[in-house]
Amino acid sequence: MIPITSTIRIRTGRDGFPIWIPLFIVWLLLLPVVLLLLPFAFVACLAVRVNPFRAFSVFWHIISGLRGTDVRVEDGACSVLVHIPRSFV
Amino acid sequence: MNENRRKILEMLATGQISADEAERLITALEQGQPGAASSGSEPRPKPKYVRVLVEDNGQGRAAKVNVRVPMQLLRAGVKLAGLIPDHARAHVNEALREKGIPFDLSQIKPENLEEVIDQLADLTVDVADRDATVRVFCE
Repeated sequence: MIPITSTIRIRTGRDGFPIWIPLFIVWLLLLPVVLLLLPFAFVACLAVRVNPFRAFSVFWHIISGLRGTDVRVEDGACSVLVHIPRSFV
Repeated sequence: MNENRRKILEMLATGQISADEAERLITALEQGQPGAASSGSEPRPKPKYVRVLVEDNGQGRAAKVNVRVPMQLLRAGVKLAGLIPDHARAHVNEALREKGIPFDLSQIKPENLEEVIDQLADLTVDVADRDATVRVFCE
């Protein structure tokens, strides 16, 4: 299953603000673009002799594999957090 | 060797008990010990994440980094390596060889990764620098 939500928190000095990103809306917005580009991607895969179905499967796995990713970087007073939860909550 | 096991072996040596009885007693003794039944026989849970920690050594020069990467993402990455077209793979292999890493990307297979992941459960990489300490481990 692909990630549904994500949280990004950026802190600079004393100010910090978390941003909750509903990824399911992002996926829905991207869906028409993906469908539009799908035939071109299919042809491109065939041109470089890559099985297009395998390629789509791998990209699906990469997006699905992002669930559980957690990146925290702190440098002095600045910090960035990117969190993609495993489940919806 | 613990005291009970020594007694059993002494009894066996003096002929008070037979070899079969000694074996039964030792087996019963091992099963009665806490954790004996599960020692090494239960499969360990597979690690789910790779953690990379970079911590400042108190100098305030290095950024503090805490990254957790799911194993699923690594598996997908290995599959992605399998999608690289042959001619592009040859270029990548050549570039790696020039950098002193004689590695063939076509040799990376998902089943190899599973073996690596199994071994990673016991592995922790610690790199200490003047400014920072880097730790890579699985959890």
